Amino acid sequence: MGWPRRLFHKRLTEKRMDAELRFHLEHRVLDYVASGMNPEEARRRALLSFGGLEQIKQDCRDARTENHVEDFLRDFQYALRSLAKDRRFALIAVFALALGIGATTAMFSVIYNVVFDPFPYRDFQHSVILELRDLTGTGDAVMRFHYTIPEFLAIREQNRVFEDIVGNYQLDVLYSDGKGTRRFLGGYVTANGFEFLGVPPVLGRFFATGDGKPGTPFIFMMSYRLWQTEFHGDPKILGASFFLNGKPRTLVGIMPQRFNGYGSSVWFPLDLSPGADGTSFPVKDPDVIWALARLEKGVSQQVADADLDTIMHRLAQNNPGELYPQHFRLATRTLLDFVVGDFKSTLYALLAAVSMLLLIACGNVGNLLLARATVREREIAVRASLGASPARLIRQLLVESFVLAASACLAGCLFAYFGLKGLVAIIPRGPIPEETVIGLNPAVLLFALAIAALVTLVCGLAPALHVVRGNVLPAIAGSGKGSGGSVRHGKLRSGLVIAEVALSIVLLTGAGLMMRSFFALTHVDLGFDPAHMLYARVVPTMNDHGDNADTVAKRTLFFQQVLQRVQALPGVLTSTITLGLPPLGGAGSEITVLGKPPSQHWEPMVDLCGEAYFQTLGLRLLRGKLLSEADIDSARHVAVVNQAFARAYFTGEDPLGHKVKFNVFDQLPDTPRDAYFEVIGVITDFKNRGLLGPPLPEAFLPYSITGFGERNILATTAVDPKSLLASVQREIWAVDSNAAVIRSGSIKELLAEEAYTRPQFGLITIGVFAGIGFALVLIGIFSVMAYTVALQTHEIGVRIALGAQRDNVLTMVLWKGLRLISIGMLIGVLASLGLTRFMASQIQGVSASDPLTFFAVVILFLTVGMIASLLPARRAADIDPLAALRYE
Amino acid sequence: MEQGKTEVLKGTLDMLVLKVVAVGPIHGYAISQRIQQISRDFFQVPEGSLYPALYRLEDGGWLQAKWEETETGREAKFYSLTRAGRKRLSTEMVNWERLSEAVALILRTVE
Repeated sequence: MGWPRRLFHKRLTEKRMDAELRFHLEHRVLDYVASGMNPEEARRRALLSFGGLEQIKQDCRDARTENHVEDFLRDFQYALRSLAKDRRFALIAVFALALGIGATTAMFSVIYNVVFDPFPYRDFQHSVILELRDLTGTGDAVMRFHYTIPEFLAIREQNRVFEDIVGNYQLDVLYSDGKGTRRFLGGYVTANGFEFLGVPPVLGRFFATGDGKPGTPFIFMMSYRLWQTEFHGDPKILGASFFLNGKPRTLVGIMPQRFNGYGSSVWFPLDLSPGADGTSFPVKDPDVIWALARLEKGVSQQVADADLDTIMHRLAQNNPGELYPQHFRLATRTLLDFVVGDFKSTLYALLAAVSMLLLIACGNVGNLLLARATVREREIAVRASLGASPARLIRQLLVESFVLAASACLAGCLFAYFGLKGLVAIIPRGPIPEETVIGLNPAVLLFALAIAALVTLVCGLAPALHVVRGNVLPAIAGSGKGSGGSVRHGKLRSGLVIAEVALSIVLLTGAGLMMRSFFALTHVDLGFDPAHMLYARVVPTMNDHGDNADTVAKRTLFFQQVLQRVQALPGVLTSTITLGLPPLGGAGSEITVLGKPPSQHWEPMVDLCGEAYFQTLGLRLLRGKLLSEADIDSARHVAVVNQAFARAYFTGEDPLGHKVKFNVFDQLPDTPRDAYFEVIGVITDFKNRGLLGPPLPEAFLPYSITGFGERNILATTAVDPKSLLASVQREIWAVDSNAAVIRSGSIKELLAEEAYTRPQFGLITIGVFAGIGFALVLIGIFSVMAYTVALQTHEIGVRIALGAQRDNVLTMVLWKGLRLISIGMLIGVLASLGLTRFMASQIQGVSASDPLTFFAVVILFLTVGMIASLLPARRAADIDPLAALRYE
Repeated sequence: MEQGKTEVLKGTLDMLVLKVVAVGPIHGYAISQRIQQISRDFFQVPEGSLYPALYRLEDGGWLQAKWEETETGREAKFYSLTRAGRKRLSTEMVNWERLSEAVALILRTVE
């Protein structure tokens, strides 16, 4: 009979053991009798040689597996029973730990997937992009990420640090299928570009050496998303010919879903080999090549920077000009850093927050377990003195802790799963790479589970430690509950509560500051009303090379016709053309003011707009006049400027009549060279570069002066702007079916997407963490106070019996609670103040040591903390002295 | 305890039991008698060691037990070797021979 069966046939097993031993005994008696002993003496001798029969039986039982299993099951049952008896404790402990595990795992998973492992690309940790940094003056700002073809070729040929380097140029691709024209994000990529990333296509092939060379067939590749949205995932389109930018091209491959290399939807092969005449290259703009390179094994970024810098400075020496600032350096930056960038700091701040939460949860559980330990110390001591071995007691407590930890871990997995879903739902897609797949990270989950289990086991074992040390007596001898180790526990637990309070204060102030910052952000006075405002980015017809096909005049006509039609739509109030979309910013340019020495670095913003721009935004004219229809029609060189412009460049004088040159026009195609614009009017300031900074100097010129660049249609509406988008698109196509609308929507939504999602993500996440932490701390305060009162029942009873007023008792207990909270708060506030610099990177529009936030948090904590200790205090005041004393 | 009667060396009891049981199904009392007889009363097997050993060996799967009638017509628990028990017996015997040879060698040579 195997042990599992014996486990269920315990009685039979015992009976058989008895029978076997009796058989042995009787045989021995018989043998003794046979050897001539009298039966009585024989029996006595036999029993004597047997020694302790019960001991033998016990040894036999111990030799059996099933008996150990049974002991364990009994401990398990006992643990369940004792936890069920203290159900509130068990639930809170499990819940607290589970929250800690869940939140930490979810947050760590996001960070791991976003910061460390976002890309499916080969060896992406060593992939770098190149940035040219302007060191003129004290600055070290990125001047450009793009390079001319000779620059790129020089780097490719002369560098000694890259394993491989890819050149890439982005352009819009217009696709005509006979019915209409659609615009896709396109990119020219050197033929090695796809092998470089190492992701195989789902269909067909990717570019290989030789593709894109003059004389080879025109081919292209397509992204998964475009394939799905535009072509319904039809595999038959592979090998078909498409009209892209006016030329038939053959589709040779489709990339998988998790691929966003070179940020495009369609890719063309780009040939830059020195022998090629360059005719296959699509643009004539000077610096257009964006480079992606992989560092050779063992080459550090510093070494690479030094090597590249030499090459670039040699180029600058041979070709002096505007491409190079006076002092510059060429630096590599990892692809990861380039894409994830400063969102990392938000994630790390949240990581710090969630770690605090985990600490609070652990502290809380430790607290609860210690409180329980105090109560149980006596029970354990009694059991020990009745003969339970330390090993046995420890095993039993271990089992109990194990039950607790296991349930917490199980619940924690659930919390982690749903917590991650929640995080993924609110995470802003903007700052994280498109290829990123956020999934539960098993290693992190295990780590959190291990911590939870450790806390539970260590704290759960506390009551057994006294027994192991042999301090059994004081625990029993002490009358009442509060004695022996409980004082020490009491101190430890007060310490834990103080630490929890401090951590919670840090979390709460963090959340408070984020909230204030978010409030400041969403309630900024923009200087105009973004409600009911519609925008549509329009690209007029382009030729094969992505250049403007029309003359400037034809373009102006196109926009005038579009505006006329949009204006006629029911629901549209005013409409205009603009280059930049307020309040998020637009283009900038250095200026030269006629008659003033170009002494300083003057670089205001510049917008190209229609005459209705000011009316659309509701900007008030302060001096002079606005742009008129005639100014637009005849593309006059006039400019309206904002107050900031007037203040910055014409302090103490009248800006009207001054002539300003916008230097950027000298470098752009289709723009007037050496043109000076006369300032004709000054308007009120509005937010034109982000929500929080002050308005920057800005000049507004007639959009008709150049054909360069895209334009936005901006319109105020009487109805929901989104309901008009389709009509606007229709009107644009009615004027020119080859024009494409890149992006359209309401300004409110644009603001939400571009400016609010990130702070909102931070706010919600840290808010949830802080809320959970706060709740846990309150539970901690409550439980400590409640246990303190329970332990002091006797003392309080005596006090009341001796004439203490109930109010005094209430105050006494409250005072103790207040002391714990105050010490914790003090530490927490100091810690928060110490962390302000860290916090400052995450908030805008409010100081990191904002007194209002700190004050509010302190008041909130005091109030709720006092309520949490009031309940136990009330119980203490209600103690019946007779009952309390009789209890002894 | 009488002179000249030694308790079985710790750790060898299992081997001796297995060896005795290897002959054929045998009950606990007979095992203790047999060990005592074969060792010419040199080894004593106290019940307090024998039965826990038997239970341990059965629990470990080296022995199997069956309740059968003895020649005197009484029910007794008869032990016999399992395949694993046979294997363990042979390895333990080999080990023991090596050990005793080595001990003997040392005793002979080191003076």
